[in-house]
Amino acid sequence: MSRLLAWCLLLAATCAPAGAAEQEADPRLVSKAFRAAVARVLPSLVTIESYGGVAPRPPAPKAKGAPRPRRRIGTISKPGEGPTTGLILSSDGSIVTSTFNFLRQPPIITVVLQDGSRHVAKLCGRDETRGLCLLKVEGVKDLPVPALAPRGELKVGQWVVSMGVGYGGDAPALSAGILSALERFSGKAVQTDANLSPANYGGPLVDIEGRVVGICVPLAPGGGAAGQGVQWYDSGIGFAVPLSDAEPILARLRAGEVIRPGRLGIQPQPGSAPGGGVVVRDVLKGSPARKAGIEAKDVILAIGDKPVRDLLALRVLLGRHVAGDTVSVRFKRGDKEQTVPVTLEAGDEQIPQPTPLVPGHHPPAPKQP
Amino acid sequence: MRTLRFPIEQPMAALFAICMGGTGVPPVAHGQDARATQEARAPGTHDSGAFRDAMDYAQKRCARLYGGGAGREHGYATGLLVSPDGLILAAQGIYLSGESLRVVLPDGRRFEAETVRRSEKLQAVLLKIEAKTPLYFNLAEGARVEQGDWVFAISNAFNVASVEEPLSVSLGIVSVRAEMEARHRTQDVPYEGDILLVDAITSNPGAPGGAVCTLEGKLVGMIGKLFQSVNTRTRINYAVPVDMLQRFVEGKDDEEPPAPPDEAPPKGQGAYVGIRLFKLSGERAPAYVDSVAPGSPAHAAGVRKDDLVLAIGQDVVRTCREYEEAVAKLKSGQDVPFLLKRGMTIKTVFLTLAAKPEKPK
Repeated sequence: MSRLLAWCLLLAATCAPAGAAEQEADPRLVSKAFRAAVARVLPSLVTIESYGGVAPRPPAPKAKGAPRPRRRIGTISKPGEGPTTGLILSSDGSIVTSTFNFLRQPPIITVVLQDGSRHVAKLCGRDETRGLCLLKVEGVKDLPVPALAPRGELKVGQWVVSMGVGYGGDAPALSAGILSALERFSGKAVQTDANLSPANYGGPLVDIEGRVVGICVPLAPGGGAAGQGVQWYDSGIGFAVPLSDAEPILARLRAGEVIRPGRLGIQPQPGSAPGGGVVVRDVLKGSPARKAGIEAKDVILAIGDKPVRDLLALRVLLGRHVAGDTVSVRFKRGDKEQTVPVTLEAGDEQIPQPTPLVPGHHPPAPKQP
Repeated sequence: MRTLRFPIEQPMAALFAICMGGTGVPPVAHGQDARATQEARAPGTHDSGAFRDAMDYAQKRCARLYGGGAGREHGYATGLLVSPDGLILAAQGIYLSGESLRVVLPDGRRFEAETVRRSEKLQAVLLKIEAKTPLYFNLAEGARVEQGDWVFAISNAFNVASVEEPLSVSLGIVSVRAEMEARHRTQDVPYEGDILLVDAITSNPGAPGGAVCTLEGKLVGMIGKLFQSVNTRTRINYAVPVDMLQRFVEGKDDEEPPAPPDEAPPKGQGAYVGIRLFKLSGERAPAYVDSVAPGSPAHAAGVRKDDLVLAIGQDVVRTCREYEEAVAKLKSGQDVPFLLKRGMTIKTVFLTLAAKPEKPK
């Protein structure tokens, strides 16, 4: 093929008009789109600096001679001491970030805004179920507030980009990925395969239009201590808490509340009752369930208007509520069904986790009561 | 590996396509002649996949390295061919310290390698094999990239690729170019300079020495030795930028020998500031000012009791110990900004440092 002909074809190809949706997007355009999206949110990004505080200690060993537990949070030996990331939520200085960034409980917190100004910040409320907390900075006004992506518009497979300042440097580090799932942890979080880690926990996950999808946080099944989930950093499994439907939570955080997981206070039988439902093996003393009149051998059938088929369903339904919420619990005693309101209290429900399946191994038999 | 074959269904991306005026369709190669000319230089994109040609190009220019392992350190790594006469760029590692270092080229030829030169600053090493290597990365043609640009990382991570098989490839974007404080296990590392952070996964055994390239096949950097960030204590995915590698290979980076111990400043030096910290809470407590000596530089600058020292110059001061370390670096005569927290406000004051007063005998 002659060179001239090759050049003509090249020219023709680049001059041809853009087709419709069948055209494949040039990856360079996607890169430009990432940069533009990040630039929209950047004015609202803040760098958080913490002073003082101690690395959290593991619980003391129970038995003499028991191996001393290594000081770990996931596979990070101690939380880092570098800057962390937050996002301005209101023009008068409300800043959202992740509780992960304050595991050391620093007595002094300062934030640096994009204009370079540094301010002392006060920690307001925190949501332990979502790993979110709010800071408040005084004496500021007209701070830039980012646009939020409505949760109902999110789609699995759409591009998202995380932003974080945890590595230091002048510009935030970016990681791109897709939305992998829209409802995780009883609807508290979306899932992404962008690299999420202490470098960007507390920072925004942004869509291609520059709207904030959610705040990056470490989360893991089974609740547990703060910071759980960090062992999955940069793994392709990351979580972000959407903000567009979080106003009720944020209002409570602004008021300084601490939101904790709520429990009924029952010990359930493993598995499910014949015909569905969860059999109560025992009701803990002084618990919300006891106060509401639930007794051993009762079969829990529904929470609110949602049926409880088995333990897993009970855990997912309870996960939608927090301590202080009142839920209506429908249960059967003998032949009679009743519905009682139960006000959940802070604590972890004693619901065993499903045993992870390991290829080639049989799951252990459930413990007999 | 994520695929890049996606239609324009997102409105912003479509808008970009229209604004750019172009089709976004990559140039189409026709015939053997066009392909042959493309082989000789970094290829453009190909219509059967956004970066197939770039990957082929890079595969032909990366080598597998095998040496001695020790304990948890692995005896295999990747290397970059950087000259037509057998120069190979690689990352420092335990695998280099075995009795022999074997190189397996992409065409299967095997050679023993000699070390030519090391760089402590880049944690890199230049090796030589007695072979002609006409396909190599020309470091002078390295690319500069921006945040958000696609890159792919190619390496022998986990030694997954058997000798006849192509190396492993991981896709991602450029996260940021930054100076990095890093550590390896419990020690700070002597790496100096910028690194290119990426969100392709490169932090795996066997990957160091691999290539990070643009979708056009241009080299952006070399996957670096496995390190943790001091700030986040997480393993970082990064490449040593190509411009820094080029200076090393050409012998142009000035390696300063480490300062001999007797040149370290004698204890007790440093400037006079005039601040006494509140020490009862211990060395790891924040650096609160307990008293300011009258007539001292701190007094003249307006530092007061109960101020909290947040930073001295560029050094963040999180604890009393960090305060002492920062002050020890200061010299008399300097004008140094002290960042203070007073109540709920933040102030910067400038101290003109004096020489330390003589201790009374």
